[in-house]
Amino acid sequence: MTDQYEDPKFDAWLKDAARGTYHAPPTTPRDEMWSRIAAARQRRARRVIELRPWMRWVTAAAAVLALGIGIGRWTADRSSGKGTDVAVTRGVNREIDSLAGVAYQVAATQYLSRTEAFLTSFRADANRSVNTARLTRQARELLTTTQLMLDSPAANNPRLRSLLEDLELVLMQIALLNPVRDGRDRDLINEGMNQSNVLPKLRSAIPAGPVPARTEGAL
Amino acid sequence: MDESTLIARVRAGDSAAERALYDAHVDRVYRLAFRLAGDDALAQDFTQETFIRAFDRLDSFRGDAAFSTWLHTITTTVVLNGLRKVKRFRQRETDIDDAREIGTVHRQAEPDLKMRLKQAIDALPEGYRTVFLMHDVEGYTHEEIGVALGVETGTSKAQLSRARAKLRAALSDFAGEWIA
Repeated sequence: MTDQYEDPKFDAWLKDAARGTYHAPPTTPRDEMWSRIAAARQRRARRVIELRPWMRWVTAAAAVLALGIGIGRWTADRSSGKGTDVAVTRGVNREIDSLAGVAYQVAATQYLSRTEAFLTSFRADANRSVNTARLTRQARELLTTTQLMLDSPAANNPRLRSLLEDLELVLMQIALLNPVRDGRDRDLINEGMNQSNVLPKLRSAIPAGPVPARTEGAL
Repeated sequence: MDESTLIARVRAGDSAAERALYDAHVDRVYRLAFRLAGDDALAQDFTQETFIRAFDRLDSFRGDAAFSTWLHTITTTVVLNGLRKVKRFRQRETDIDDAREIGTVHRQAEPDLKMRLKQAIDALPEGYRTVFLMHDVEGYTHEEIGVALGVETGTSKAQLSRARAKLRAALSDFAGEWIA
């Protein structure tokens, strides 16, 4: 039984029309995608070794232990009246370093998420001749941040440094896009991005979860 | 080789089995990603991310449902989240461009039916559009859609019915000619 809102003839036409014309998929690029999947999985496997859950627990336990020892020494120093100032200064310095580390992680995560969204959008728009001026402006902004990140303590991590250098190159190419021969340049940039696997690397560097909160393991 | 054996071999680290499992399902995943995204680069990205997540989480697949159903749950999550992210980014940029181009009026050409169909489907709410594309265009059952989207089968049917009604209304002036 059909309800009053159904129109089988229209629905059949709609199905055929949509199947034939709406986002009709091309042949699946199996091999291209597989090679990128295999490469990304290899990288993730290495990362999982670095960040296994039990290692996080061990790290957390070590941190608590260190904190306990620190507090114990500090209180002992206070009670003996020796070296109090030095211990306090060291403690404060460590805390400042720790806070700065967290701030860099937050900044890095936000920057990586923004860059991922930009490059994903760039790849998606590659054949549509989207406003070149807009693309170059965004790329320049991100390039400035990339270069600041490269000069910051966040780049002490070799994996992040390598990723930032790849991103710097891609963003520089986009920032220098020539509106006249724009299509050809975009193809070349996309080819370069595919060869260097920069997007999968970028995604694997961004921890899961909402951006402002997902700082754990960002670097 | 049946699929459960293939999955067991993938769990044991057999890379040939990984490729075989990928080959068995990649077409359907890519087709769905492409239908939803409408863009090859995005569809490839989403397909890759789907398989990466699936292989990473294969230990959590218990075999209660078919592997394809489980895989399409991951696909729809990856694609819909990815599209929301791209949409937010593009919207932000469009807002900036719109602010810069106040006073400029672009005259649109009269769209043909293909364009009207595209616009009508694009204008559907996300849930309606997803169910319509999965069911009417890619041939998923309401049961598969329900599991993939985490909704009741009845919800999927209702959303499809509403999607068709909206499309019927949007295309009423064109549809008569085509059906004839």
